[in-house]
Amino acid sequence: MMHWTILLAAEAAAEGGKGGLFDIDATLPLMAIQFLVLVALLNALFYKPIGKAIDDRSNYIRTNQADAQERLSKAENLAKQYEQELADTRRQSQAVIAQAEADAQKIAAQKLAEAQQEAQTQREQAQHELDQQKQAAMQALEQQVDALSRQILDKLLGAQSVG
Amino acid sequence: MAMLTALNLFHSLPLAELEVGKQFYWHLGNLEIHGQVFLVSWFVIAVLLIASILATRNIQMVPAGFQNVMEFALEFIRDLAKNQIGEKDYRPWVPFIGTLFLFIFVSNWSGALIPWKLIHLPEGELAAPTSDINTTIALALLTSLAYFYAGFSKKGLGYFGNYVQPVAFMLPFKLIEDFTKPLSLSFRLFGNILADELVVGVLVLLVPLFIPLPVMALGLFTSAIQALIFATLAASYIGEAMEDHHGEGHEAH
Repeated sequence: MMHWTILLAAEAAAEGGKGGLFDIDATLPLMAIQFLVLVALLNALFYKPIGKAIDDRSNYIRTNQADAQERLSKAENLAKQYEQELADTRRQSQAVIAQAEADAQKIAAQKLAEAQQEAQTQREQAQHELDQQKQAAMQALEQQVDALSRQILDKLLGAQSVG
Repeated sequence: MAMLTALNLFHSLPLAELEVGKQFYWHLGNLEIHGQVFLVSWFVIAVLLIASILATRNIQMVPAGFQNVMEFALEFIRDLAKNQIGEKDYRPWVPFIGTLFLFIFVSNWSGALIPWKLIHLPEGELAAPTSDINTTIALALLTSLAYFYAGFSKKGLGYFGNYVQPVAFMLPFKLIEDFTKPLSLSFRLFGNILADELVVGVLVLLVPLFIPLPVMALGLFTSAIQALIFATLAASYIGEAMEDHHGEGHEAH
């Protein structure tokens, strides 16, 4: 009732007549030639241009990356150099400061010593003057004592001699 | 009775017919060729060429649109060839292997996705070119020729050394392999695609709506896998033919 075409097909193939699933004929070589033509066409239209685009891009990326790498290393070197210079300069400035501090201390000490010496000499001078004046005063006092004692003597003896 | 009339109704629908092994013959001189296979293969070729032209019409450093898609396809094919053949020799074989993959893939999917049965032929029906044994045998034989060519161009007559590697005992097996390789390649592809179309056809015949959809989805998957398998095996055979056997070299050291 229902025509089962699959069975019919199998029968057709089994009969070996025209048609069937395994009907091999001139389609095969023509398809092979057609496929080779397709390979050639696609090679010209697809594989070559697109492949070139891909290769060019990867080349471009590779060179750019190498360039960037180089620049990065250069920048790093520069930074290192600057850092070193900075460290050197800082060390130098510290040395200068230390030197200046030492100089200042030395000057201060020297001035202090000078001042102390001056003070010492002034004090000695003052002492000397004081001693001199004291001596002078003592002498004067002695003379006055002499004079007074003579007057006292004169007064005592004078009256006697007079009287 | 109602069921029978329903079945008959399906038979009257154009989608629910199944024809196997009927060919639409063209006569070329005294040669006979399968017209339906060539019609669909021309469609497939046209699709591939149009896609290529669209992708390469305006090539840019930063790919956009369709160029991206085709670049992805090419990267995929290159990876496939590189994995099987090796970094050194794969480049000349990319067009052959890539065309195998693209042609089979587009053929399979066009058979699975496009309702060819809406176009009536006097005899037979349009289907994926790969569901015809002639196409698959043609591709398989080309693959055989390709790996012979690869072997001879790489090693000259030293290619025959492959047949006695690693031991001379392998000679008969390697000889048989040369016949089984194209046979298995062609029948695997043919069988899978035809079986898929038959299963979908039978299911549509029995239950016309929705039920065949999962099988169709599975068919899409199988079709893609078959294209991948064919291309991978072809690349692997070519790689095998060009492979260096370092046996003697190592012994000499």
